[in-house]
Amino acid sequence: MLRRITPVLRGLRRYSSLEFDVPEIHPLLLKRAEVMKTQIKDLEKQIGDGDFDPELNKKFSSLSYIIEHYDNYMKDKENVEGLKHIDDPELIEDAKEELASLLPELTKTSQILQTKLLPPLKHSDNACILELRPGVGGSEASLFTKDLCNMYINFANHMRWRYSIISEQESNSGFLNEMIISIDEPGSFNVLRHESGIHRVQRIPHTETKGRIHTSTSAVVVLPKMSSGDEKSLADDERQFKPGEVRIDTMRAGGKGGQHVNTTDSAVRLVHIPTGIMVMQQDERSQPKNKAKAFSILRARLAALEREKEIAEQKKLRTDQVTTIDRSDKIRTYNYPQNRVTDHRCNFSLHDVEGCMQGQRLNDIIEKVEQSEFEDRLQQLIQGS
Amino acid sequence: MRISPKLIRQARQINNLLPPLLYPNRSLEQAQLELKWITEELPPNQWVQAVKRRSLYEPLQYILGSQPFGDLDILCRPGVLIPRWETEEWVKRLCNSLSGQQYKILDVCTGSGCIPILMDHLLKQRGIDSNIEAFDISPIAVELAQENAKLNQSSISFTQNNLFRVRDLGKYDIIVSNPPYITKDEYATIGKSVKLYEPQLALIGETEFYEALVHNVVIPSECHSFVFELGNQSQADIVQSLLPHWNIGTMKDSQENLRCVIGSKDKSFMTLCN
Repeated sequence: MLRRITPVLRGLRRYSSLEFDVPEIHPLLLKRAEVMKTQIKDLEKQIGDGDFDPELNKKFSSLSYIIEHYDNYMKDKENVEGLKHIDDPELIEDAKEELASLLPELTKTSQILQTKLLPPLKHSDNACILELRPGVGGSEASLFTKDLCNMYINFANHMRWRYSIISEQESNSGFLNEMIISIDEPGSFNVLRHESGIHRVQRIPHTETKGRIHTSTSAVVVLPKMSSGDEKSLADDERQFKPGEVRIDTMRAGGKGGQHVNTTDSAVRLVHIPTGIMVMQQDERSQPKNKAKAFSILRARLAALEREKEIAEQKKLRTDQVTTIDRSDKIRTYNYPQNRVTDHRCNFSLHDVEGCMQGQRLNDIIEKVEQSEFEDRLQQLIQGS
Repeated sequence: MRISPKLIRQARQINNLLPPLLYPNRSLEQAQLELKWITEELPPNQWVQAVKRRSLYEPLQYILGSQPFGDLDILCRPGVLIPRWETEEWVKRLCNSLSGQQYKILDVCTGSGCIPILMDHLLKQRGIDSNIEAFDISPIAVELAQENAKLNQSSISFTQNNLFRVRDLGKYDIIVSNPPYITKDEYATIGKSVKLYEPQLALIGETEFYEALVHNVVIPSECHSFVFELGNQSQADIVQSLLPHWNIGTMKDSQENLRCVIGSKDKSFMTLCN
């Protein structure tokens, strides 16, 4: 059965060194198709035994659809390979013509096969919201969180993505407490979701007088953006919830109210009762604007929660222990003295902290993570099916 | 209440402009937000002056020159009452409850014009035709209201008129008003920034405005419904006693304070009461 595990479809098309581009499918995906082929034989047998089960039939038809395309793909590919090896100068012109007609066909079947074998990730076309909060390490953690914010802003500039700062909260001592950035580029969630997790820094902080190296952390949460978070989207956002599902608190001072007082307090707090998720917004002077932003963040958090749940359920189905990234694990270390950024998920080190923080080299790391995640997931798919 | 030296020290560490803002705000968090708004909306050369004015309890809305009201921005100027969120709340509730095709509406004591402009905006959004007029006794208020209408692309006509002497009013379907409703006794206890900076003309009133609204506006205009903002129960009672054959009810705001008296000849507006 098809699992909704959804690695990134990057790097799937490799180019042959010959004069034609032959669309390739990742060998692990093909292996999965092979596994399906053996599965379908079992299914055929079961159906042949006479038990009618609509579930079984559904499974059978979806499998046979994939295998049909798989067989087509293999046949076409064989033909293409065969034609490519023709050296006879008399036949080469004919071969070229035939290749030209075969290739579009092959491209099409390979694309269908890929999406069937690897359905796209949920929310992968969405824009995203980044939430950054300091972890352990006191004021140094706040300073580092600020640096990370700048890194993502630089990265957005580098990628020419539009972004806006939704809110920025400072603690009473003036250090950053929380920062929420909205990246308004569709599809940015698919890139930046790899940034979710604990980021660790090792460096001599500005606040350190004795030259010791400190280790601090910062937590990054990346959420798929579900709505634009302005007054226009507010009505639609509110409609997503049942009455009574979300409690809306406004922090107005007590007393008689009305003409008696004149307040500038426009904070809004939303509490999603079934999950207990709480969102507070107070950056805008206008209460409806705060409310709209809060609803947008709430929806994004709920979407992320749902996604996590789905992934956890899929994991449960599998018997093997899977090494994926938990929210509590550190995903990356920024070591300033050694000028090194190491991503612990793919054990990749980039020896250019400055370039990474400027946003220019961040993509290098993300690509490596993507690649390793892709291979991991494929491996799981094959073992799991 | 005194502000502790510790809090002042803390504020100074964050920003030198912050300590003066503690006096009108009482909390560091709110002071930080106000400073943020000041620095966002005003040019740097006005920051110091703005903070100084605010530390003397001048309303931030007069310093920045505007107040968000619903989706709109309403200009604010000394001499005219600053729109309150309670007003915004009942105007929204009222507009959401209207289901007819067309309304002729009059707003009395309009001040900055916030009520009719927001109603016009909301009713347009819902596809309801409306013809709204408004008047105020203060020429400064009428001028500001006209500016606000222009700013928010609204075609409401504002005129200067005195509620106590008004004659020859036209016919209207709905009357709304936010008249002065703070009694003389209460006036001594209200917020410092209101007392020092907002016009008494727009604040002090007992029941005389409600009597005048009923006698001079509600009855001659032959309206079928009205909503008046108020501050205490006796103001609702007087309306009730003057219109014995009407359905009269009251509405609380989301802070559970008595906020409006609502009346209608039929029962159409009674769903707003609570």
